[in-house]
Amino acid sequence: MGGVTAPAVIFEGVWKKYQRGRRYDSVRELVPALAGALLRPGSRGGELGRQEFWALRDVSFAVQPGEALGVIGPNGAGKSTILKLLSRIIAPTRGRVDVRGRMGALIEVAAGFHPDLTGRENVFLQGAIMGMKRAEIVRKFAEIVEFAGVSDFVDTQVKHYSSGMQARLGFAVAAHLDPEVLLIDEVLAVGDLAFQHKVFERLKAMVRREIPVVIVSHQLDRVVELCRRAVLLTAGRVVRAGTAVECVAAYVDGEHLAEAGHGPAPVQLHAISEAAPALVHSGEPLTVRLQGAVVEPAGGSQAAVGVWVRSLPSEEFVFATHSAAFDLVLPVEGPFEVAVELEMNLGPGAYRVQAVVWSVPARTPWAFGPSTIVRVERALPAYGRAYLNPRMHLLAP
Amino acid sequence: MFARLRDDLRSMLREQVEYRELLLSVTRRDLLLRYRQTVMGFGWAVFTPLLNLVVFSVVFTHVVPIQTTLPYPIYAYAGLLPWNFFASALRFSMTSLTNNQTLVTRVYFPREIFPFSAVLVGLVDFVVAGTVLAGLMIYYRVGVSASLLFLPVVIAVQLMFTAGLALLVAMANLYLRDVRYAFDAILVVWMFATSVVYPVDRVGGRLGALLALNPMTLIIDAYRAVLLGGELPAPGPFTAAALVSVATLGIAWLVFHRAEIRFAENV
Repeated sequence: MGGVTAPAVIFEGVWKKYQRGRRYDSVRELVPALAGALLRPGSRGGELGRQEFWALRDVSFAVQPGEALGVIGPNGAGKSTILKLLSRIIAPTRGRVDVRGRMGALIEVAAGFHPDLTGRENVFLQGAIMGMKRAEIVRKFAEIVEFAGVSDFVDTQVKHYSSGMQARLGFAVAAHLDPEVLLIDEVLAVGDLAFQHKVFERLKAMVRREIPVVIVSHQLDRVVELCRRAVLLTAGRVVRAGTAVECVAAYVDGEHLAEAGHGPAPVQLHAISEAAPALVHSGEPLTVRLQGAVVEPAGGSQAAVGVWVRSLPSEEFVFATHSAAFDLVLPVEGPFEVAVELEMNLGPGAYRVQAVVWSVPARTPWAFGPSTIVRVERALPAYGRAYLNPRMHLLAP
Repeated sequence: MFARLRDDLRSMLREQVEYRELLLSVTRRDLLLRYRQTVMGFGWAVFTPLLNLVVFSVVFTHVVPIQTTLPYPIYAYAGLLPWNFFASALRFSMTSLTNNQTLVTRVYFPREIFPFSAVLVGLVDFVVAGTVLAGLMIYYRVGVSASLLFLPVVIAVQLMFTAGLALLVAMANLYLRDVRYAFDAILVVWMFATSVVYPVDRVGGRLGALLALNPMTLIIDAYRAVLLGGELPAPGPFTAAALVSVATLGIAWLVFHRAEIRFAENV
């Protein structure tokens, strides 16, 4: 292909139609359904039947080798449909889906487990279902069981396992696949905190292996950390495609825009951008720029501009400040740009920094502007929500 | 059209080769589960045909005695053995896709695995139950001859016919759960339309001519010929049965293969 590597995953103009509910449950429904299909054939590709809806409409994206793509969006946006199409469980109504290479899917990882089989038997069965060869499973068996932390129970029937143990073992099998393309569906929340951490480290290692990865998740902080690019879906359409940070920001903005309401604000904010890359270490400075305009003459006396910081994905409120606290005077009319310097004394994670117009008399937000996503990484071995900039000295002996 | 057919046949075979270990794993799972979940385990493979044998022996030697060339119990058991293989493989494969719903809707693998493994489980039961036939042959002093060497061919023909139907019933039950109940009734009728416990050529007339077309009768006749009769199956009828079996498997597999991408939406 002329020196340029071809994408490993291609989604091209994909449409997917679904049936609402079952088509027919009895002969009484089957006969009219068949008769209907005979009388008006050709309704298969194009328009919708009475009980049908589009789960995906004209979705296109490509994933290059060594790239991780995040797929985000609200429930029912079509994320799982994309994964099912990629894993060849269903076929597109229109368009082209192309995946090159052996695919490994971390989807509902304990799906194949049988309660009456032992852990060992289930590992072999699950491995075979996921396309592993027996010799490969034999080779990795000890590692899988060790990873899941069920070494003492390998010959116990899985029905005696706790649900956490089952999920851990299921994930451990999937995590030891050697795929050429990796699909991940919301498995980042398996097991307890320690196991989740281990899972996440494992995923990061898999992503770094230079294979194409597609991740579907509601854990937006994880998406920001694992993926460089993302697509945002709403009602089956791609409403935004770009960097993961952009898409996550667009998603959370879309979800929470209609929060404040005190009538139209006299000041508008239309852009927020950070001066440095969106990755800082705990305790490091961060500067964001707010661009806006005063649209009502002298409106700036009633309104201030500032930022709200929330953690992702919980939207938990972390910090807020606004220009009135700094006696900053906005122009009487016209555009302005404000720099906000922050010290990110926060624990590791992803944070949403949102531009906000503050009502000075009402002491509440007047209108919310766009957001940007900032990722904070650990500066030194320190834990927790905040970063208290620790120093330590030996005083005695 | 031929290009598409060639591509489909190639991908069907390639997938089976690629997933051959999964077929064996699933078969092993099903055998293991039955062995573990039931006290009698493989005893059931012997118990069902033996019970049938006792019932039919009472009916056809005491109530309505019929003439068979061999002692009735051995005649009947040589029919019940392949018939039970056929019927239990189909019953088991009928629910094989619907019972593994979570896997069908979430993981990709060739869906043929489930009906095929149902047939393999039936084949294992068939071999286990076959030991009883060997016992009966010793008891009734029925000698074996070189015709026994032809047995694998007869088994292969039955295997293909059964596998083809297994694919069809598994697929049909996925779309319409009524199929399972309808098929249970069909199996009862089919058994009495086959030379399982009495020779159907006694029926005669137009109905008899119709029954003579039943591939299962031709297959079971072939079993009796090579096992008990010490002769090769009648060439004409057996060739017909073999062709029907190959065609059944070929067509059923192709239909199944082309439809399986839509299974996950119809479970």
